[in-house]
Amino acid sequence: MANLLGKRYTCPVCEATVLVTKPGDGELSCHGQPMEVLQAKPLPSSD
Amino acid sequence: MNVGMLLDMAADGYESRVAIGSLADGVSYDGLRRAAGAIAARVAGSDAATIAVTEPNGAIVPATLFGAAWSGTSYAPLNYRLPEPALAELLVRLAPAVVARADWLDPSAPLPAGFPDEPERPAVLLFTSGTSAEPKAAVLGHDQLLAYIFNTVEFASAEADEAVLLAVPPFHIAGVAAVLSSTYAGRRIVPLPRFTAEEWLEVARAERVTHAFVVPTMLARIVQAMEEHPDARVPTLLHLAYGGARTPAPVLERALHLFPDAGFVNAYGLTETSSTVCVLGPDDHRAAHESDDPAVRARLSSVGRAVPGIEVRVVDPEGRELGPGVSGEIRIRGAQVSGAYVGQGSRVDTEGWLVTGDRGFTDTDGYVFVEGRGDDTIIRGGENIAPAEIEDALLRHPAVSAAAVVGLPDEEWGERVAVMVALRPGSTAAPDELRAWVHERVGSLKTPELVAIRDELPHTPTGKILRRQVRAELAEERER
Repeated sequence: MANLLGKRYTCPVCEATVLVTKPGDGELSCHGQPMEVLQAKPLPSSD
Repeated sequence: MNVGMLLDMAADGYESRVAIGSLADGVSYDGLRRAAGAIAARVAGSDAATIAVTEPNGAIVPATLFGAAWSGTSYAPLNYRLPEPALAELLVRLAPAVVARADWLDPSAPLPAGFPDEPERPAVLLFTSGTSAEPKAAVLGHDQLLAYIFNTVEFASAEADEAVLLAVPPFHIAGVAAVLSSTYAGRRIVPLPRFTAEEWLEVARAERVTHAFVVPTMLARIVQAMEEHPDARVPTLLHLAYGGARTPAPVLERALHLFPDAGFVNAYGLTETSSTVCVLGPDDHRAAHESDDPAVRARLSSVGRAVPGIEVRVVDPEGRELGPGVSGEIRIRGAQVSGAYVGQGSRVDTEGWLVTGDRGFTDTDGYVFVEGRGDDTIIRGGENIAPAEIEDALLRHPAVSAAAVVGLPDEEWGERVAVMVALRPGSTAAPDELRAWVHERVGSLKTPELVAIRDELPHTPTGKILRRQVRAELAEERER
């Protein structure tokens, strides 16, 4: 699974969050399991 | 962390997209990263702690913001309209400082080396507008600005054809936040160097602008210009955000009518909170506008609810939290909150709450209503009077284009209500007529005893009414 630029991943166990600032191959894992992609919160642009 | 990472990611992710300027000849994200690097190179090895900008909106603004981040110095946008001696005084307060120059920008410069991951100096130093006191330089750290961006903006969330019209000056917190959030979202910035309503409408149309943020004085002028020129429309506009001060309800209602297809966003925030902390979004506006429930309708005059990562509470003078519907002082907590100033103490208490100085209340669903600055509340014969209600009543008069209500010291009542109004060009209204108009709508207690008519109200360079000056002029007028 590729890690996409700007995507956020979270650990379902400890809730640690990772932001991908340089994309690459491989899989992010935490607490022995793959981290999950965080879904974007739709928030209107305010500035 | 370093706010430079926002531009670094943008330049890696969508390098040839235009970051700022026209589609035909704007600067790309890659070019902006190189320009930022060129600015950082200028101060490398010098003792500069701050890079100031003393120019209107243009490519130099984001290039210097990110260039300062790249070099580990602070970015300080200053009011370019100030006379030379006043600018020099501000620069002394930020010393050692250098002023970025347009000829430093080089979008074809080599790719810059990396930026410091943990810069020692804060990202931004921003003089607050000082409507009631002398300006202070607010300190905004890299982590605070990034907390705001990461909590409210998704990377690359803008469509390729989106463009934001940047009309607030660089020295307004919204001017700083717009650069950061637009860069991260991948939304092209269309800079408007100097605001007039006509120019705003013309550039918005020509550049097919989809997003814009305006302060209330700008919105009032845009609305007036559109009413005078029925063909001046911006059909591409999807999002119109407004904030920076309280927007009078009559101005908002006219704007909603003139932009029927745009989503309206009311943003509440302070310089000290790294921009927006509460948002009333397009869905909220629509629901409030269409609802028969008075509580839901009232939300049109709210600033919405706290953005992710932000807590809002309303407290009494002893700092005790108040329940829904009860007015008090607004306090704000969250990772984006600073509250620190250059050479002064912090306005954040030991539990991390920022003392905003704004008065307001919340409703049972967490919608926040801002009534104004605490200092602006008029106390007449023991009654608290918010200027907002009287100003809104005056703005419904067809001849009135702006109004500022203040309290003047009075031996009998403690304070008396006085107002300064500006009339629309070509309109006339006598003071007694305006007093009768207000009396009919809000009652005798709130009817101004003094009405002064001017061509224009005194305001700060960022469009906020200078109430201390209004108060001083009206006090002088009363003596005569």
